[in-house]
Amino acid sequence: MKQAKKLLEEVGIEGDRVEMYNMGASDAPLFAAAVNEMTERARTLGPNPLKKRG
Amino acid sequence: MIVGERKPFDEIKEMVQDHKKIMILGCGTCVAVCMAGGEKEVELLAAQMRLAAKLDGKNVEVMEDTVTRQCDREYIEPILEKARECDAVISMACGVGVQLLSDLIEEIPVYPALNTRFIGTNEVEGVWLERCMMCGDCVLGKTGGICPIAMCAKGLVNGPCGGTNKGKCEVSNEKDCAWTLIYRRLEKQGKLDNIREIFPPKKYGLHVNPIRQVNEAYLHAEMEEHHG
Amino acid sequence: MAKQSFKKALDSGKFVVTAEVGPPKGTNIEEMLHHIDLLKDRVDGINTTDNQSSVMRISSLAVCRLVREKGGEPILQMTCRDRNRMALESDLLAANVLGINNVLCLTGDYISVGDHVDAKPVFDLDSVQLIQVVRMMEQGKDLGGNDLDGPVKFCCGAIVTPEADPIEPQLLKFEKKIKAGIEFVQTQAIYDIDNFKKFMQYARKFDVKILAGIVLLTGAGMAKYMNANVPGIFVPQNLIGELASAPKGEALKTGIAIAGRMIKQLKDEEICDGVHIMAIGREGLVPDILTAAGL
Repeated sequence: MKQAKKLLEEVGIEGDRVEMYNMGASDAPLFAAAVNEMTERARTLGPNPLKKRG
Repeated sequence: MIVGERKPFDEIKEMVQDHKKIMILGCGTCVAVCMAGGEKEVELLAAQMRLAAKLDGKNVEVMEDTVTRQCDREYIEPILEKARECDAVISMACGVGVQLLSDLIEEIPVYPALNTRFIGTNEVEGVWLERCMMCGDCVLGKTGGICPIAMCAKGLVNGPCGGTNKGKCEVSNEKDCAWTLIYRRLEKQGKLDNIREIFPPKKYGLHVNPIRQVNEAYLHAEMEEHHG
Repeated sequence: MAKQSFKKALDSGKFVVTAEVGPPKGTNIEEMLHHIDLLKDRVDGINTTDNQSSVMRISSLAVCRLVREKGGEPILQMTCRDRNRMALESDLLAANVLGINNVLCLTGDYISVGDHVDAKPVFDLDSVQLIQVVRMMEQGKDLGGNDLDGPVKFCCGAIVTPEADPIEPQLLKFEKKIKAGIEFVQTQAIYDIDNFKKFMQYARKFDVKILAGIVLLTGAGMAKYMNANVPGIFVPQNLIGELASAPKGEALKTGIAIAGRMIKQLKDEEICDGVHIMAIGREGLVPDILTAAGL
């Protein structure tokens, strides 16, 4: 994951846009927390820079 | 094996900034083993190039391929046609591969994605260490199998120097003092006399680059075969 | 004192004293010339360092010439870090022609410890081979096997670290330097006379004059720093204590007293053939050290 973030950062895309979470398939609370975390990050970081270019 | 390291992405991107159709060619031998220029690394670099192009609003086509090795013509030849359809090739091979490829497709620029660094081996997974400096006059038989040119920062053949400290090199505490290692190895073998003799200065005249090495017997046999 | 040559001083059996000047990083030689003046009549030889600690400075050859011009006895320090064999041979010829007849052959610190970290390290020769080259040129030949139109003549020396850890590889190298042909040795700084006596028991086997290295301690801080960072230097706890317990502002005075005391002991007990005083930036204090030693 560290490597993936680094590769994205090299290109100019924020590494925080990706994350890896480990959880059991039935672990709903953890899943919800992860989704909330990533949504919050997306809000803070703004639209994906790639999106602007279509 | 040859160990290299991929150049920073920005440097590679700048090299090919004026090109629209780029091939990234990997090498499946040395640089694949040191995780710098093999098939996987080609994939990753290609993905980065495409992302970067998109971010810059540029229309760039990136093709990928990997050959067994780029230091032998016969392995490169099959992909030359595809390469010629591009306006640039990024080679993820060592400096040798970059040059051979460039010799074969002269009209198309070939850019190096790697900095070729040394020949060595891996100490543990993910860590490679320089072990040989190709001085052309090997003394390993005398120094217990430890190379004073590669492993001693100063490349001394009559070591150690005065900067050696508790078995470590004056350059860094993380480097072993080659001559302390050599001493201990020869002590184990009962061959300290090997290094009691004064080694003469190295013959740099043996290495006038680029060196060409010829197998006379082979050439002779080839000639006989072809000319009877 | 500098009326006779360094070689004569060594051969006379007297307690020899040498010191060092460090060339400046620039053309402003005023302070250095002043140091040469202070030292030239009180010591048997003045070493000029060669891009010491891999910091680029005025070439030691030029500074040796200045020492000679001022009536001092220069000892040319020559490292193998910055010059290939041709340049070293060329400088040896130049030295003789300029009236410099003493040379100290060193390997040299690595480039990375200095201020030109991207410079190409040379190390075409090492200290042992350089000693051999001096002797070869004395026989009228250079390393290319060519005849010289006029040989050189040098009093040639090298260095040793008596408290290197581990000691065996250091002594093996020391014996190679002796085999190559040296007449004198200036040691790395020593502080423990008992340990040094043990080293001298070993060194007396060889026909070479030993000058013990004396580095002035300016305070307990410097002593601790050297213990932690400089290979082969060990300042014993009692000396650190002595420096630490000196009255405020008197640490330097204590350092001078310590150096003077050590030199006196080395001389009175005939432990070695002399001393080499390295004041590292405090060359002006060497006369005080000599006075403290009763010299």
